[in-house]
Amino acid sequence: MDPLFLALSNFRRRNFEKCVEICTELLNKNPLDQSVWSLKTRALTEQVWVDECDGEEEGLADVLMDDNTIASVARPGTSLRSAPPSSAGGPSQTFRPSTQSGRPLSGVVRPGSQGGRPGTMDQALRTPRTAQTARPVSATSGRHVRLGTASMVSTGDGPFINLARLNVAKYANQQNIAKALFEYIYFHENDVRHALDLAAQATQALNFKDWWWKVQLGRCYYRLGLFRDAEKQFKSALKQQDNINTFLSLGRVYIRLDQPMASLDVYKDGLDKFPGEVTLLTAISRIYEGLNDLPKAVKFYKDVLQCDATHVEAIACIGTNHFYSDQPEVALRFYRRLLQMGIYNCEIFNNLGLCCFYAQQYDMTLTCFERALSLATDQGIADVWYNLGHIALGIGDINLAYQCFRLALVSDNDHGESYNNLGVLEYRRGNLETARAFFMTSASLSPHMYQPHYNHAKLAHKVGDLQTSFIIVQKALNLFPAHVDSQELLKTLETHFQTL
Amino acid sequence: MLVPIFTLNLNQKIIPGRVCIGKYDTAHACLTASTTADKVFIHNPHQRLGITGGRMSLSQSSAEISLLNINQTVSAITAGVLTQPRHGDTLVVGTPTNVLAYDVQNNADVFYKDVSDGANAITIGKLGRHVSPLALIGGNCSIHGFDSEGNDPFWTVTGDNVSSLTLTDFDGDDENELLVGSEDFDIRVFKHEEILFEMSETEAVTALCPMHGSRFGYALANGTVGVYEKLSRWWRIKSKNHAIAIYSYDLDGDGVPELITGWSNGKIDARNDRSGEVVFKDNFQSTVAGIVQGDYRMDGKNQLICCSVDGEVRGYQPSTAESRYSMMDVNIEQETIRELSQRRHNLLLELKNYEENQRMGSSGEVVHGKPSTAGDQVGIIPANTQLQTGLAINMGSEEKNKPPHVEIALATTNDTVIRAVIIFAEGIFEGESHVYHPREHSLTSNIRVPLYPPKDVPVDLHIKSMVGYKGSLHYHVFELTRQLPRFSMYALCTTAVTQPQGSVSFRLSERVARIVMWVNSSFLLLEDLQADEEGGMEVSFLSLRSNLPLVIKADPQCHMSIYTDDMELAGDLIQALANYLNLDDLQVEADFPSEVDQLGAVLQRVEEYHATRQRLSAEMADHSGVIRTLVVRAEDARLMGDMQSMRQWYGELYNLNKDLISGYKIRCNNHQELLSCLKQVNQTIQKAGRLRAGKSKTSVISACRQAIKNSNVNALTKIIRTGSP
Repeated sequence: MDPLFLALSNFRRRNFEKCVEICTELLNKNPLDQSVWSLKTRALTEQVWVDECDGEEEGLADVLMDDNTIASVARPGTSLRSAPPSSAGGPSQTFRPSTQSGRPLSGVVRPGSQGGRPGTMDQALRTPRTAQTARPVSATSGRHVRLGTASMVSTGDGPFINLARLNVAKYANQQNIAKALFEYIYFHENDVRHALDLAAQATQALNFKDWWWKVQLGRCYYRLGLFRDAEKQFKSALKQQDNINTFLSLGRVYIRLDQPMASLDVYKDGLDKFPGEVTLLTAISRIYEGLNDLPKAVKFYKDVLQCDATHVEAIACIGTNHFYSDQPEVALRFYRRLLQMGIYNCEIFNNLGLCCFYAQQYDMTLTCFERALSLATDQGIADVWYNLGHIALGIGDINLAYQCFRLALVSDNDHGESYNNLGVLEYRRGNLETARAFFMTSASLSPHMYQPHYNHAKLAHKVGDLQTSFIIVQKALNLFPAHVDSQELLKTLETHFQTL
Repeated sequence: MLVPIFTLNLNQKIIPGRVCIGKYDTAHACLTASTTADKVFIHNPHQRLGITGGRMSLSQSSAEISLLNINQTVSAITAGVLTQPRHGDTLVVGTPTNVLAYDVQNNADVFYKDVSDGANAITIGKLGRHVSPLALIGGNCSIHGFDSEGNDPFWTVTGDNVSSLTLTDFDGDDENELLVGSEDFDIRVFKHEEILFEMSETEAVTALCPMHGSRFGYALANGTVGVYEKLSRWWRIKSKNHAIAIYSYDLDGDGVPELITGWSNGKIDARNDRSGEVVFKDNFQSTVAGIVQGDYRMDGKNQLICCSVDGEVRGYQPSTAESRYSMMDVNIEQETIRELSQRRHNLLLELKNYEENQRMGSSGEVVHGKPSTAGDQVGIIPANTQLQTGLAINMGSEEKNKPPHVEIALATTNDTVIRAVIIFAEGIFEGESHVYHPREHSLTSNIRVPLYPPKDVPVDLHIKSMVGYKGSLHYHVFELTRQLPRFSMYALCTTAVTQPQGSVSFRLSERVARIVMWVNSSFLLLEDLQADEEGGMEVSFLSLRSNLPLVIKADPQCHMSIYTDDMELAGDLIQALANYLNLDDLQVEADFPSEVDQLGAVLQRVEEYHATRQRLSAEMADHSGVIRTLVVRAEDARLMGDMQSMRQWYGELYNLNKDLISGYKIRCNNHQELLSCLKQVNQTIQKAGRLRAGKSKTSVISACRQAIKNSNVNALTKIIRTGSP
């Protein structure tokens, strides 16, 4: 069989390694065969290709030293930067726990949804250490190096293409290879500057008529952090050709510029051109979720489900929302749907167990949690034990609860929620000093939680340390201004001080 | 007088001239200004207070301020209604390379555009026939008009860097015209894309503001402010301070706006639009930064709001009818008494002079030629004394280091001498007037004053000279006015000159005699030119500025050609001729090989600069990414207490920073070069436009623009030559 045909067939069947092997042999015989050469670049690229629209994460450095946003204090609800106040529509912070950024917990974990935007560098650097999900240090170097580079693919003798010696101008004029070469440089070599150079010259060679190159230019600018240039390229590409990916990229540009309203406009424009496009709808609902406008987010997730009934993210988010808005039975149906679709992991059983418990189907509860424990990885097991602790509290078995929280701490000793609950238990037992220590640990480990502050303040109030109580309850109110109990405590303290 | 109805301190520095006010949510006025560190602040005192009347609480002024990061020097800022379907005002911020239209309420861009010509002045409003409002951006020699989508349906070029812009209905046709003040001292009125009128001033025009009807106020860089009604200047005053901002506002409540001026020494004054009389003044501690009007007390009335560079803000309310009446009462009485006594004083002086003269006449002794002494009441000169003036061209001399110039000769007809001469002429002398005041011993009866008109414009010379006898204490003042022809700096050549390469040729349906008349009136000729026997005309001149020849030819059929290498001069000649002959439209054939070659070279350089710039900015972005990483790593090391690696990271950071700074310098130079090239291109287009008149002029400019957009140099050359693509 013709080896080139074999290589092509392997490429089609996604046997990229085999394809590369054959190509390498062919190239050894005839190094100037362009078709083989371009096939090899494509095969190498495909091996490390990542979807940038979804897998993109802002680096730590970019978040901290962000100078692209225009408004430093934007009107509430128009910025993703500041933690928005709990909105009128959705459930309050009391019921729905928040992530570290002060946003309500989402149904799925996606890049950036856990971290949020830290206030100080200290906090930013400490947080990833304690939570087990580290953020990349910088978008230009960190995650992209890990996700999509050739460093993972071992090459026998030296790199396939030596970028430093590449004659960019020559290849930019050969459209048949230029595109494959660009993707190779961009994804495989991860050398954005060279890729940019190639794209700029190629688009020039075509008299700025090819939208594909404009999108690629935009992507390069985006990766370099030149968002304004990226915006220009994407917009110009959209004038020539409507493309979903371009809409998504332009929307991402506005998110990085912290203009969620502008990106919503872009996505909605995209929806006019591509009605019912799931990726666009998902992007819209993610923004609403980020803005803490949960009713709208759920509405768009429902739209997503109208178009794609097997969309995991939408199902999970709607389920979560139902669970926290006191409809565990409905949430249960969504999670069962996920289970039906073949998602079989610790988290799903954990959620199912919780739903069953709150929907009063006690027979299923413990079975689900057993399943969850058996499937749990190191990362998730602490959460399972913590939830089991809640069940134990619910059925009034304080000893079991105590053990569960302890077990949660064994598997993850940074679990702030468990510390808090342990503190409460100790407090009930009358071990006030131990309780205080637990509250303080919890508060220092999870700076986004108001509960340990409130509990601590209450404890201090009980033992008569009014000054401490006063100081700490204010911290709780800072995190959750609408918390009624804290407000009442503060009021009592204030009247107390006034009578003194 | 009036006292401010509110004062507040924003505790923010304000950059002079970058102040505006906008109702971003359609209801609440927000003072917006550019402050230090490339930021723009928005002061919004009302959002939280709601619409409760009365005096607003101004204590927490710092909490009411929100900052916008622009990250580039803010060169102009304004707010206005740009988007129709969206509500509220749009904030438009100009920087040396970009324009950002920003929806403050929604924290979203309306558009963001690169303008390589920079944005020196911005105004928002409806222009001419355009249906939607435009944001007009004045840059280096060019004006862009962007609509809310970021398209630019309006583009034109002007003579020099635009320094101020405003929109007003200049000719009373219910359509706005664009007034442009530029650094070449001109105020131009654009109707659609063509220039309707041009007014020459004496310095760069730093501010313009529409007043009432076709009246507008202006301010110059040398501290002059004044008011124009259409083409005629009503008044102007000059101060040693600079006018930072001018604004029109009806402060005394009489229904006619006054011109409010904010000065660099912190003074604010309001002047009557008709007479320039000061009706109100106040003082700030520091330079005035801007003047706007807005409803800042939420009482439905607009106040005049003035800000200083230190962030002090004062609001003034127009005086009400009653208070004005009481104020007027006192004023009118005092004014009238002052005025009458002044007149009495003048009349008495005049009477005294007459008496003196009569005494001299009646005594019969005529003492000519005798200087007056302290005892005399009057100096006497012969009754037939005349002051003669003459304009001539002086070719200058090498040894006295005098370049060729025009000179004005003043001479008396008898033995009286000229003690001093004051010549007042706009735009020729620094500071507009020239005083010639020779020493006592070198007094003569004739005086020659050299003139160097920098531009080819007709100038009125107002001459006042003091004539009398040597040693006399009293002099007679002779006042006269002479007009300097437009092209006075060109000397007639009697010898044959080599014909310059550049040329413009066109056909006029006129008699040659009228062309001759025009030449006679606009050049400084010793004797009037005549058409030759066949009825044609050929005349050559030499420029006194550049020593380059200029040849004007006309054959009996009135085919005219002008030969010169200076495209600008050709443009000036054609504009003057078209004006003289009242031509509606003039299409010409132009050939300026050197200019076109130069343009080609410049465009090529622009291309190169663009390419370099792109590479440099990619490099810089890459570096800045690495820098961020290094900072985080270094800080990480610090938190871990690992001083060794912290030191290492910071060391690397230092080196990278040095690289970045040197890269920045290269980028800066590159940008400067690019700017000057673009300016040159715009100027060439402007010159090509000036070679035509009327419709052809507009179409040449828009065709050139199209050619440059498509980077089609050949088409551009063709357009410049023939006037159509």
